[in-house]
Amino acid sequence: MPPKADQQHDDPEYFQSVDAWMNTTEFSDLMKNEFPDDAAEWLDPVSRRQFLTVMGASVALAGAIGCNPSLKPASAKKVVPYVRQPDQMLPGVPLFFATAFAQQGGIASGLIVKQTEGRPIKAEGNPNHPSSLGGADAAALASILSLYDPDRAKQIKFNGTASGYDKFITSIKDELEKQKGKEGEGVRFLTEPSTSPTFAGLVGEFAKRFPKAKWLQYEPVNRDNSAKAHQAAFGKPVNAIVNFAKAKVVLALDSDFLTSGPSAVRSARDFMHNRKVRDGKAALKAGDGVALDAMNRLYSVESMLTNSGAVADHRLPLKPSQVLDFAKALAAKLGIVGVPAVTPKLPDLAEKWLVPLADDLNAHKGSAVVVVGDAQPAEVHLLALAINEKLGAFKSVLTFIEPVESKPADHFADLKNLTEDLKAGKVDLLFVLGGNPVYDAPVDLDFGKVLMSSKAVKVRFATHEDETAIDGQCQWFVNAAHYLETWGDVRGHDGTASIQQPLIAPLSGGRSFLELFSTLLDLGTSDPLDVVQAQWHKHFDEKVKTGDFTAWWEKCLRDGVIPGTAAAETTVATVKLDALNDASFQTPAIQADGLQLQFLPDPMLFDGRYANNGWLQETPKPITKLTWDNAAIVSPGTAARLGIVNAFGFTGGENGRTVADMVSLTVNGRTLDKVAVFILPGHADDAITLHLGHGRTRGGKVAVAQGYGTGFAAYKLRATMGLWIAGNVEVGKPTEKYFLACTQGQYAMESRRPVRHATVEEFRKDKEFAQVPAQSAAEYKELRALTPGTPEDFERLGLKHPHAKGHDSHGHDHAAGEEHHAGHDKRIIPLSLYPENPSKVNGKDASTAYRRWALVVDLGACTGCSVCVTACVSENNIPVVGKDTVTRGRAMHWIRVDRYFSMPNDEPMSDDMGSAKVQGAKRSEMVKKSDRIRTHFQPVLCQQCEKAPCEVVCPVGATVHSADGLNDMAYNRCVGTRYCSNNCPYKVRRFNFIQYADYATDSLKLVNNPEVSVRTRGVMEKCTYCVQRIRNAEMETEREFDKRKAAGKIDQFGRPKIMDGEIVTACQAACPANAISFGDLNDHDSAVLRAKAEDHNYGLLAELNVMPRTSYLAAIRNPNPAMPKGGA
Amino acid sequence: MATMTPSTNLGTKLYEADTKFPPHPEGLVEGNHNLATLGDKIADVSIQITPTPKAWWLFFLVGLTLAQGLVAGVGYLFYLGTGVWGINQPVAWGLAIVNFVWWIGIGHAGTLISAILLLMHQKWRTSLNRFAEAMTIFAVMCAGLFPILHMGRPWLAYWLYPVPVNFAAWPQFRSPLCWDVFAVTTYFTVSAVFWYVGLIPDFAVLRDIARNKLQRGIYGMLAMGWRGSAIHWRRYEKLYLLLAGLGTPLVFSVHTIVSFDFAVSIVPLWHATIFPPFFVAGAIFAGFAMVIWLAVPLRQFYGMSDFITNKHMDFCAKVMLGTGLLVSYGYFCEVWMAWYSHSQIEWDTTMQRIWTGPYWWAYWVLILTNTIIPQFLWIDRIRKNMMALFLIAFSVHIGMWFERYVIIITLSRDNLPSSWGRYAPTEWDYLLFLGTIGMFITLFSLFVRFVPMLSITEMREFLPKAQGGRDGHAVMENAK
Repeated sequence: MPPKADQQHDDPEYFQSVDAWMNTTEFSDLMKNEFPDDAAEWLDPVSRRQFLTVMGASVALAGAIGCNPSLKPASAKKVVPYVRQPDQMLPGVPLFFATAFAQQGGIASGLIVKQTEGRPIKAEGNPNHPSSLGGADAAALASILSLYDPDRAKQIKFNGTASGYDKFITSIKDELEKQKGKEGEGVRFLTEPSTSPTFAGLVGEFAKRFPKAKWLQYEPVNRDNSAKAHQAAFGKPVNAIVNFAKAKVVLALDSDFLTSGPSAVRSARDFMHNRKVRDGKAALKAGDGVALDAMNRLYSVESMLTNSGAVADHRLPLKPSQVLDFAKALAAKLGIVGVPAVTPKLPDLAEKWLVPLADDLNAHKGSAVVVVGDAQPAEVHLLALAINEKLGAFKSVLTFIEPVESKPADHFADLKNLTEDLKAGKVDLLFVLGGNPVYDAPVDLDFGKVLMSSKAVKVRFATHEDETAIDGQCQWFVNAAHYLETWGDVRGHDGTASIQQPLIAPLSGGRSFLELFSTLLDLGTSDPLDVVQAQWHKHFDEKVKTGDFTAWWEKCLRDGVIPGTAAAETTVATVKLDALNDASFQTPAIQADGLQLQFLPDPMLFDGRYANNGWLQETPKPITKLTWDNAAIVSPGTAARLGIVNAFGFTGGENGRTVADMVSLTVNGRTLDKVAVFILPGHADDAITLHLGHGRTRGGKVAVAQGYGTGFAAYKLRATMGLWIAGNVEVGKPTEKYFLACTQGQYAMESRRPVRHATVEEFRKDKEFAQVPAQSAAEYKELRALTPGTPEDFERLGLKHPHAKGHDSHGHDHAAGEEHHAGHDKRIIPLSLYPENPSKVNGKDASTAYRRWALVVDLGACTGCSVCVTACVSENNIPVVGKDTVTRGRAMHWIRVDRYFSMPNDEPMSDDMGSAKVQGAKRSEMVKKSDRIRTHFQPVLCQQCEKAPCEVVCPVGATVHSADGLNDMAYNRCVGTRYCSNNCPYKVRRFNFIQYADYATDSLKLVNNPEVSVRTRGVMEKCTYCVQRIRNAEMETEREFDKRKAAGKIDQFGRPKIMDGEIVTACQAACPANAISFGDLNDHDSAVLRAKAEDHNYGLLAELNVMPRTSYLAAIRNPNPAMPKGGA
Repeated sequence: MATMTPSTNLGTKLYEADTKFPPHPEGLVEGNHNLATLGDKIADVSIQITPTPKAWWLFFLVGLTLAQGLVAGVGYLFYLGTGVWGINQPVAWGLAIVNFVWWIGIGHAGTLISAILLLMHQKWRTSLNRFAEAMTIFAVMCAGLFPILHMGRPWLAYWLYPVPVNFAAWPQFRSPLCWDVFAVTTYFTVSAVFWYVGLIPDFAVLRDIARNKLQRGIYGMLAMGWRGSAIHWRRYEKLYLLLAGLGTPLVFSVHTIVSFDFAVSIVPLWHATIFPPFFVAGAIFAGFAMVIWLAVPLRQFYGMSDFITNKHMDFCAKVMLGTGLLVSYGYFCEVWMAWYSHSQIEWDTTMQRIWTGPYWWAYWVLILTNTIIPQFLWIDRIRKNMMALFLIAFSVHIGMWFERYVIIITLSRDNLPSSWGRYAPTEWDYLLFLGTIGMFITLFSLFVRFVPMLSITEMREFLPKAQGGRDGHAVMENAK
């Protein structure tokens, strides 16, 4: 087949050209002003003279690019202080700015954005920000790409034709004038929830002038249910903050608190820290992790297999509606009064869970907490509050704060009211600011049609011309600015405010809401900076009072957080459970038997707002590994019952392409004709999960579903009566086949144990359990000798060196009957025919003389969220290749997160499903036991082998070893024989089979990191440990030689020392769970050495004797011995 | 040396057996030829006296058509990149390398027949060596295309040679691909020189009997002033012997080194010491299958069965049988070693290869065509039946292609299950393969038409003394 999606974007887009093409007045004005002499000619009909000047015109157009305000540097005014102050601004030296990115609920995570030559190119978490602590989520990282999205709207339009901002403002002001008499009764603002104090201030100002105008908020994936529960329990709106750092036992009820929701990054960091098991005294002292006994425990009860469920110690798959029953039963078991009885009986396993679970929760009073997912009805949230209260979680693990949102809203009610008002003709002027209600409103509201038929003046303010922006629906379209283009402010999950500062002037003149409001209100300025600054000046005058405002303001900008703005903790009364019996509070009952459908936000595209972002589309979704599509996700058992297959069967799988059956889904009379079905082990039986956010019809080339990619419109099934969970789902017979781009179809480890894991008990019994290679060989356990570090190092780290002198008491025990051997056989260490490294520096092995970069991934801490993938894409200019190319097994990611399923049995280290003996029909039966499925994640990047097999086979020496142990790739040298890739046991090398890097789209050139080559066709590429960051740090260190020497920062050879933590790889920086350590093995104080010296550190495929520099800490789980088998 | 006056009237009579001569004692020449009839029968094809059989046109045009496919395939490949093929991660090598190894294997028999059999005094080689060498050269040409085409940036192919350039691109000599370049280049060069040196006296014959100026001019130039003087013969025979000696190790080296592409890697089932002998045996196997394939039409359409006798075919079949058994032993060894190693991944991959994996059928096609079907060659009657022999050789062609396919496809099941993936060639993969087949057919058709397809000189020496020959004492006997 000809390579369809291998082709590049259709047309190059030039942001200059749109005006010209649209022939707007602005453009002709520009041309007239620029070339006044030719102005007359310009307007003439075709004349000889004009014809002759056509040649000149092309030159003129080229010249006009220089006049484009969008290409002027962002710092036309002094707008931003530096996070890291350089001596002077140097070309090529990047600058870093703190800002914040608002996501679900308008809640922000703090970012530090790297800017080179005026272009923001990379976002990372802001360590100062409480919602981030340095980590980030994929959407925040990928927001950089959205800035340069060539599909962004570039033009203000009226009824589909180009217009101007001034015209727009005049027209709207006229409308507002008409509203003055009605006190703004006909004015509606529909926004996404906002936490911006400045925006709230402006809306408040507006409300003063138009008291009857309404501000409505709608977000399809909202937290209405928990808000309702809070209201019912305490009688006032509050936000809950869970301090996972303190939680010892957590029960997640259909909650993916580790990877979704506004505080997921923070939750993952806090929670996973207590799952990083460390043995060494030095590691514990440095806070790398916790001792074995201090590990926390997670129970997960859920329908879809989520990341939180995947890392849980016990997981119980239940149908979505049964979670409520489970919560009721648990509450009853814990002795909470006023809980309605569970009418249908719970499944056996769930019944068996209750007692040991209740015991465990009771045993950890004050450090146990129940968290509930947004998709669960308010009753579950309310019950959880009661349980938490009972468990003494209030004020310890769980605290309540004043709502962070400027105006807490009931989203669906707001939208419903608006729809009714529109229908009733009560609306004269409607602003749809952000959001995309025509696409994502509950289907029964028929919002698109209502909007279309409304006679009101409708204004659409958005970054893309999306479903809501269709001409006729909204007369006015205003292109909105990206958050990196304008000033703003936003609050984090705990209320901490941040200033959003622009890093670049609006690329196509986008406007911000703040600018719109301040213009409409005639505040005297329409500059968002002034407005934001005024808001915070007020705050300064009221709260801070001391010192100089400018200094305070600049410090706030530099830090990325405004001190003292965290929301106050609020005291709550006892939980009132009365509402449980209140029909208006209850969610309409869902038919218990039969198939149920659950809607969840997409792990990458969220509610669909990121659908036009290629990075997010192509980052494999953490559990399913799907890219470019969503699918109806079912369990193997349900699939077998429905007669649905994924082409390779669920007993095997392939890299890139899964052939899935397509079915129709019918819910309450609404049918989605064709949905691909994806079979996922571990999913609850008789339930379907459908992710929202795919199936867009407008909004950019990347977003729009074309029939072979970017998915199925789940919103078409989502009605007010079944917003999250719908019962009585009918599934049609499979009709057609559909290719899903699933980057990892093969899910069993095949007994090769790439991911090594143990329970706390197993680990206690055998500290070196992870050393046993999957393949038997003479080097059984001796591979441990490849662990870096001298015996002295080990002693200092508080660990026993496995090969210390005097081998009589070497580090491991012998199984009964195994012969005791006197010390390890030196001949097989380090498993080489060659003698020891003969080159010496100062009498020591030369390999210990230079820096030795290494990386450790703690599998116990990895949540599989795949943020590292997006971070790597952003840092290393990794091209987006499109669905078709992914289905050809040609995804380009340098780091991938492998996901395996296993089925542990009674024997330690063994796995029923992975065994070669369990194949075919037997395996397909086994995989249906959803409650026994265990999920494992393993990020795989280049292992930087010391004896790299790729290097020896390259015929041109394009991949070579650096002195500090990096396996370097010289792109210019590569001729593309791909031998290195074949010989790589980890398959981490990626080949540019055709020209993937986009050299054609102008705006997309701007997103590239200038420190990393953009690879051409025919070249192999792979992870470099972010070598550009290493080299930068080296240069900086050399430059600071004297300073460092004075500070005693000198290594053993008298060179300036790169301090541990000064170099952070992109994946490491992004990792919300802090699962990645990187550093110099020859630095005795490095975190990476401490991690490598741990007993459960192992090298992936180390038995091949490639001596990987990257290694893994085996995952330790903490199951409750009292729990029934199955969920264990 | 007397030649008969060429007759414009196609004298089938001319070549008829002269019954006054006794037949060849070993049955290696049939039809009681004498020096003159033998020379004319071969040379008349080249100087266009023998009418071109219709089948020649069929072969030539089919070949030429397919060769156009090669042009199109290469054009599109160069335009878009190797992405037009089905290669991916983890199967980064696909049909290009399969075809490369397949062609190199075919290119094996020629030099084996010319050089090794010469050194080993196997008289029967004499009827086969010329066209077998041509086959070698054309097959290596086809093979040589693929390593260049399969490169991501083929315009940099010269970087694999140690060319002293000021940007200091220099090969990395530890890489088997680098050895490949030297092995194949050397093999091709020596084979071509060997072939050409053998052709010089024959070109002189053609020059002498040429029917027009053009022929005389071209063959004259190619004959390089050969006059047949004693000193010419002496030098010629020395050189021929030296080249045979040079060619002999190359027969072994080239496929050994090609096998290193696999054996030196650490891919499960590639990393095996059995590969070099296994590959050499496989190459001879494949090469003889191709010799049979070429000999059958030559006998059929050019009536060369006088020289390529049933006896020859029988010998070829026996070599095929023998090497086929060696190859089968290799298959056994691969499985045995995987089991015996106790290496889990080796054994799993073996099981995937032969039974549980998606390409199990390819393995059994290979076993059927390479191991089972050639066993029919034990039967005398089948070895003498040209149609049967032709079909068995066809089976070997398929089998040897699948052998390389199975090896390449092993990449789909390597160490980490997460990166397992399948591979399917695209139409562009197949087009290139068919294109090289076309190129081979085209070149071979032209060779048959314009160059003596059998060695006139050696065939004459081969005749019994009574018929003016030297009783099969080949050139080397005199190279003192």
